[in-house]
Amino acid sequence: MSLIIDHLSVSLNSKEILHDISLMIKSGEIHALMGPNGSGKSTLAGSLMGNETYKVKGERLKVKVDDKDITNLKTEERAREGLFLAFQNPIAVPGVTVPNLLRTALNLSKNPPESKRAVNNPALSFSEFNKRLLTTSKQFNIPQEFLKRSLNEEFSGGEKKKLEMLQAVMLKPKFAIFDEIDTGLDVDALKIIARGILELKKNGTGIIVITHYNRILKYAQPDYVHILADGSLVETGNKSLALEIEKNGYKKWTNKIL
Amino acid sequence: MQSPNPISDYKYGFHKPENYAFKSKKGLSKSVVEEISYHKNEPEWMKNFRLEALDIYYSKKIPQWGGDLNHIPFDDITYYMSPTDRKVNSWKDLPKDIKDTYDRIGIPEAEKKFLGGVSAQYESEVVYKSIQKTLSAKGVIFLDMDSGLRQYPDLVKEYFGTIIPPVDNKFSALNSAVWSGGSFIYVPKGIRVELPLQAYFRINAANMGQFERTLIIADEGSFVHYVEGCTAPIYTTDSLHAAVVEIIVKKGARVRYTTIQNWSTNVYNLVTKRMRVEEEAVGEWIDGNLGSKLTMKYPSVYLVGKGAKGEILSVAVAGKGQHQDAGGKAIHVAPYTTSKITSKSVSSAGGRTSYRGLIQMLHSAKKAKTKVVCDALLVDDFSRSDTYPTMDIRHNDIQVEHEATVSKIGNDQLFYLQSRGLKKADAEAMIVNGFIEPIVKEIPLEYAVELNRLIQMEMEGSVG
Repeated sequence: MSLIIDHLSVSLNSKEILHDISLMIKSGEIHALMGPNGSGKSTLAGSLMGNETYKVKGERLKVKVDDKDITNLKTEERAREGLFLAFQNPIAVPGVTVPNLLRTALNLSKNPPESKRAVNNPALSFSEFNKRLLTTSKQFNIPQEFLKRSLNEEFSGGEKKKLEMLQAVMLKPKFAIFDEIDTGLDVDALKIIARGILELKKNGTGIIVITHYNRILKYAQPDYVHILADGSLVETGNKSLALEIEKNGYKKWTNKIL
Repeated sequence: MQSPNPISDYKYGFHKPENYAFKSKKGLSKSVVEEISYHKNEPEWMKNFRLEALDIYYSKKIPQWGGDLNHIPFDDITYYMSPTDRKVNSWKDLPKDIKDTYDRIGIPEAEKKFLGGVSAQYESEVVYKSIQKTLSAKGVIFLDMDSGLRQYPDLVKEYFGTIIPPVDNKFSALNSAVWSGGSFIYVPKGIRVELPLQAYFRINAANMGQFERTLIIADEGSFVHYVEGCTAPIYTTDSLHAAVVEIIVKKGARVRYTTIQNWSTNVYNLVTKRMRVEEEAVGEWIDGNLGSKLTMKYPSVYLVGKGAKGEILSVAVAGKGQHQDAGGKAIHVAPYTTSKITSKSVSSAGGRTSYRGLIQMLHSAKKAKTKVVCDALLVDDFSRSDTYPTMDIRHNDIQVEHEATVSKIGNDQLFYLQSRGLKKADAEAMIVNGFIEPIVKEIPLEYAVELNRLIQMEMEGSVG
């Protein structure tokens, strides 16, 4: 199974931000996407998830989950095809709890035929759901009390990131994009998050890790590292590329003054 | 049945059965009011009360604030109809959206027919009787208002119209003149009624009248929670609902009154609700308004005893063509009284909500405290929300807090929830339900569940 990004160009307020991006992520692979600030990393994440703020263009353009063309699908339809985005700044939704959201999301994946479900995304009974939620939240050191609170409201940056990871693991997506999941994490939280990524990988999820730093990649080693600079994919390599960036920065790939 | 008025029995020489069919002719007049009183076999004082109220009603102008009340078809209204005459609708004549709603919130067949006005009686008689047995063992009275007047004329006479006199406003005067149905509750000293009393248990057409009148007396140190209304839409061809609710909370007692109203969208819902809260007593209103064309309702607490507490939780949802003008009032008369008003309103599909509130602290209200929080949520750009808070403070040694917010459902919130697989309408419903959650968690579970589903449907409707 693969997520195929085929000649994707994206603009925001008629300004082109991403130019002709092509990328293929296979099940169980970890791809790190690195690049300086403002290079278009979050725009890529948002447009893959179908954020309508961004205008996607290009005649040859296709985003595919396997053979299914999702280019013209709405955000929720992409989610049901098995795409997941962990947000850089998860927004607060007062009065809605994580279990409430997850239960709704999982129930939605009940109805479509088997083939349309996300990987191993079975309809869960109430008690199965609770059991799994309990185990998973323990795994990420998330106190039970957090699950009673409003989504992303009055949580620290690191706590929000853990809750994003919790959702990813509960939803078992085919492909997951982690947009700067490592920012604001202390070293213990970082290890926990990396463990989550590895678990998803083991279960066959294809993963894009968007990051500025090599440190998370030490714990969740990428199969590929891509560099996005000024809206273009400029280089692809293996994990040593991340080390090189850590040492020398992005000077080599961009004309911008950093 | 005990007859409270031997004179009228003598005069007419017969006793009418309770379900005697009678329908007043359209429009209002002195003879219509007299007829109502006659057909209900009421004591003379009640007839006079009604007639005086009618004069007051005539003397008052239609309010020109709040919502637009200038198109109520007063002359086209039937002001009284006996229960047996209410069987007016045929199932096939009910609007499709009402039937769909009943199906989708999954309410039982018998109840559907009742709510749709197809049958006059909802078969809950058995439940009611068993509850009655438990209550009367404790000395608690729980009757419809007409029976209350027949069986406890002295108690009713002592309190009726004392909290909300006919002269209060045009619609309390109208209600006083033509009232029918509603509930009468008396809880004796020190008695705690642990189960919420629901009008539902003894729901029948008499109870669901357009001009219900409810009187609750909680004697010293007692407790009762009364639940009225229902979340399912009530279909009625009557266009005016003008109720009056009077509550007396005596020293150290606590009364909570929960209402969820969802009238069909042709109805003007104009209700006067007031509690008199005595020393160290607690009065609480939880008031939810979903349906109707226009609601004007401001439950109030009169804190007349030292240390009395009042709380008002109000939630209003206005969809297409609806105006919910709701809020609350707290009048601090005695020292050390506290009040809290929390209002949450949601406007969608061009609907309009207004928070209208009054906090009054008299010279005598030393060390009184109040907190008012009103939050409005707009689902889209063409809906509307306004806030009209009034504060009248006449003492310096008091504490007042006021917070008001207006927010709009953000694209970021929608995108987040949609990225988890929720459709836009589902995402909106989740945000709206989350927004009103602090109030919904205070209402009985079965109402809360239905309320959430209704909001879901409302959002689907407004998107589609």
